Amino acid sequence: MPLPTDDDLVARWKDEPAPLLPLLHAFHDRDGHLSDDALRAVSAGLRVPLADLYGTVTFYHHFARFPPGTSAPRVCTGQVCRFQGGLELLEALRKDGATPMPCAGRCDDAVPVLEGHTVKVGRTCETLEARSSPLPPPNPDGLEECVFAAIREPGRATLEGYRATGGYEGLAAAVAGAPETLLTTITDSGLAGRGGAGFPTGVKWRAVRDAAGGPKTVVCNADEGEPGCFKDRAIMDHDPHAVLEGMALAGYASGAHVGFVYLRYEYPETAAVLERAIREAEEAGVLGDDVLRSGFAFRVHVRRGAGAYICGEEGSLLNSLEGKHPFPRERPPFPVTHGYDDLPTVVNNVETLASAAQIARRGADWYRGLGLGEHAGTKVISLSGDVLRPGNYEVPFGFPLRTLLHDWAGGPGEGRTIQAVTMAGISGGFLAGDDLDVTLDEPAVRAKGSMLGAAGIMVFDDTRDMLEVAHACMEFFAHESCGKCFPCRIGTQRLTERLAGAAGPDALDGWSGEVRDIGAVMKATSACGLGMAAPLVTESLMRYWPERVAEHVESLS
Amino acid sequence: MTTHDHRTAEDAEALTARLTLDGVEVPFAPGETLLEVSRRHRKDVPTLCYDPRLDPFGGCRLCVVELEGSRNPVASCARAAEDGMVVRTTSETLEGYRKTLVEMVCSENRQVDVDPLSGYASQELRELADRYEARTGRFEGKRSGRSKQDDDNPFILRDYDQCISCYRCVRVCAEQEGDYAISVKGRGFDTQITVEFDGLLKDSACTFCGQCVQTCPTGALADRKALRHVDTPGEIEKTRTICTYCGVGCSVDVLTKGDTMVGVQPAMDGPANVGALCIKGQFAYDFVQHEERLKTPLVRGDDGELHPTTWEVALDKAAEGFVKARDEHGRHSIYAIASGRAPHEAAYTTQKFIRAGFWSNHVDNCSRA
Ligand SMILES: Cc1cc2nc3c(=O)[nH]c(=O)nc-3n(C[C@H](O)[C@H](O)[C@H](O)COP(=O)(O)O)c2cc1C
Ligand code: SF4
Ligand code: SF4
Ligand code: SF4
Ligand code: FES
Repeated sequence: MPLPTDDDLVARWKDEPAPLLPLLHAFHDRDGHLSDDALRAVSAGLRVPLADLYGTVTFYHHFARFPPGTSAPRVCTGQVCRFQGGLELLEALRKDGATPMPCAGRCDDAVPVLEGHTVKVGRTCETLEARSSPLPPPNPDGLEECVFAAIREPGRATLEGYRATGGYEGLAAAVAGAPETLLTTITDSGLAGRGGAGFPTGVKWRAVRDAAGGPKTVVCNADEGEPGCFKDRAIMDHDPHAVLEGMALAGYASGAHVGFVYLRYEYPETAAVLERAIREAEEAGVLGDDVLRSGFAFRVHVRRGAGAYICGEEGSLLNSLEGKHPFPRERPPFPVTHGYDDLPTVVNNVETLASAAQIARRGADWYRGLGLGEHAGTKVISLSGDVLRPGNYEVPFGFPLRTLLHDWAGGPGEGRTIQAVTMAGISGGFLAGDDLDVTLDEPAVRAKGSMLGAAGIMVFDDTRDMLEVAHACMEFFAHESCGKCFPCRIGTQRLTERLAGAAGPDALDGWSGEVRDIGAVMKATSACGLGMAAPLVTESLMRYWPERVAEHVESLS
Repeated sequence: MTTHDHRTAEDAEALTARLTLDGVEVPFAPGETLLEVSRRHRKDVPTLCYDPRLDPFGGCRLCVVELEGSRNPVASCARAAEDGMVVRTTSETLEGYRKTLVEMVCSENRQVDVDPLSGYASQELRELADRYEARTGRFEGKRSGRSKQDDDNPFILRDYDQCISCYRCVRVCAEQEGDYAISVKGRGFDTQITVEFDGLLKDSACTFCGQCVQTCPTGALADRKALRHVDTPGEIEKTRTICTYCGVGCSVDVLTKGDTMVGVQPAMDGPANVGALCIKGQFAYDFVQHEERLKTPLVRGDDGELHPTTWEVALDKAAEGFVKARDEHGRHSIYAIASGRAPHEAAYTTQKFIRAGFWSNHVDNCSRA
């Protein structure tokens, strides 16, 4: 078959919703990179100014502008993979033009290498193979799960398999009743955002329902760029219909008829899984113009990102979907009133939506009851690093961290002790020492000066140099800072330089003073959560390992 | 009470929405931002990414103010005023953040002090560095931005070594000019102001209106023509006048040093242009002091050469020519085209001259072309 022409590609996407990213991907896939001519064709085809398009394309690190482009491997050198052979693998693959990429969301199955539309995993060139992402390990205490309850059933990723275990029953019940009933159920369940910010989901859906103007939109945030987080991938790979069901529920409750899944670039196989699930659901009349013969219309489109952590931040995500430069937006106004195309929009995380699907079927009380004590519901924790059994674990809120680390995940390697963990991926900085005696719920973790957030937890045993880890974390933030606001754009750079010993005072007082002042201004004045969170890394480093910091600064003089 | 009365009462209420600004209750108009309200009340809230003509952006974060009920200070440039808000524009903590921010910004530039000929807003960073005593050398590290040295266009210096990534230039080009000629490449500390494929301005959609130059707060984009006069002796003086090129009538400030005209800057309060200019008003002023500029009338003598003369002689000569043409070829042999650059009064006089002088309607204006 001849390759499609520029005009073919433009014609294919021009009249689709949110066309810029898929059109760019179409050229990127055809040519392996985005040439000047390709950008000219896209600019003319979608009527976007060329300079603007050029700037936007260069924002995304996976869009290659030149050969070898997509054919060159990208090797994960994230905070876990770099300790599990990632750096050596990168060197070994340099001969094929390999470049590093930040955490690619496979920390439980290191080291991922992205080649075109395939992710291979392995610690050496010889062992690299393409295999599906791991299923969540079974829950050793037999605690009841919500999101993972049926994920290990064979065939769960197909429509048939999903329906065999109660799938789409919640949606069927919901669309047979009033949206108000569904809103009440979700609100009463206590479900709150699982993407990091923890905003009550029922309140969000209701705000969109009540907002003036439309059409309204549902966006499933599947960008999962936070280092150490790979839970959304597991959910989408093994239970895609749960995500679609959650989106349809959000649409029904809020009055939206269109949904987008904004999927991170590093999950190409997941895109195929989702596309297949959407096709299946539409063919069966579960999605489409007449959802389960209720008269409610709901369609879902998958849009792939192109390599930018900040595009998980909802304002940036919406700008990216709209084809704009992906800077975060000033808030207020929030997406519930000014979201996609400046119209009311629900933005929810994958896990939030998958949970909503179970809640719609099993009820608010059931879900609330899953949490421990006062806490409602469950949270999926992506656990990785120096533990025997890394993986995604669904725990009740209020569950002790140490039980998860030692009893569920098998603790550290033989003869080792756990020195520290990260929280919220890396956005919560580190917990160490007695602070590891914490329960997994937002109030408890916040009381330690950190946050649970999206609940990626990376474990570091006593052989790890935490200064080096902190440097790798800050380097990530600097790499991913969008550049919109001064405190973060300059601050992440300066903190990285100070952790690397590349610049800054060589006396402890001066060094700590600068690091503290930068951190304070970032936390207080940054325009989005990235810049506010990044200084937790240096803050916790200085809190738990003052001697290591002193040693580092001394070595500079 | 009539319906009409009822409506006025509601309007009045809308206009009397109030917030507390540094302890004093003040009214504000719907849609005003906290920065606008603050500036109206002469609060000296610092900014670097702000240009009142542009949509709020929230980049520099210098404008943060304390808002009761909000955990973090908020960017006043991007926050709409709401009834009942309690706002503090200054405090020890805020001033501390602002000082740190200015120190951080200074640390990324090779130079904080640039010549005021660079552009209208070029002294903003320098003034803040003075105000916050921010030349401390703290936060030393890599510098950001790379100058585009191979762009030798005669108008706009692209000295991005001084760029602080406030994106005012990009936004003014898009929002004010509608040109979308420049954009932001890359991200984070590596952002770089550029055009497509990192090319030259002349190959881009740039119209050389100079708006980016005039809004740049650091002189990273600078007026190359004016900078030829850095060493011309004398203080810069500004004289308000009107661009003579076209009927829009943009207000400009002509910059002089002694008797030498050294540049033009747009008048931000110009009623026709509100700070905008086009390439002609901005950069095409060399004729003013050009050595070949005509300063006296010239009349061609019998030797076929042009000779300086007085206005009296020249006008007589012209009248003689007109009369001769009319007498020999009829009144329709004369056709006047008024210059688009001519002011209203001159255009009026031109048509009067043709209509009353020659009884002809053969008169037009070049801007119809
Ligand atoms: C820097 C940054 C990155 C983020 N990345 C993600 C992400 O990858 N996935 C996600 O669901 N939320 C992410 N968020 C949170 C989103 O902004 C938003 O709160 C969330 O998608 C809302 O969905 P929820 O209420 O279901 O959690 C991020 C936030 C910030 C500040
Ligand atoms: S905090 Fe960082 S990532 Fe967020 S807007 Fe500012 S520069 Fe961009
Ligand atoms: S060139 Fe000037 S106006 Fe443009 S971003 Fe840089 S500092 Fe701001
Ligand atoms: S600056 Fe341009 S638009 Fe304005 S009056 Fe002069 S020629 Fe006309
Ligand atoms: S003026 Fe408000 S952030 Fe710059």
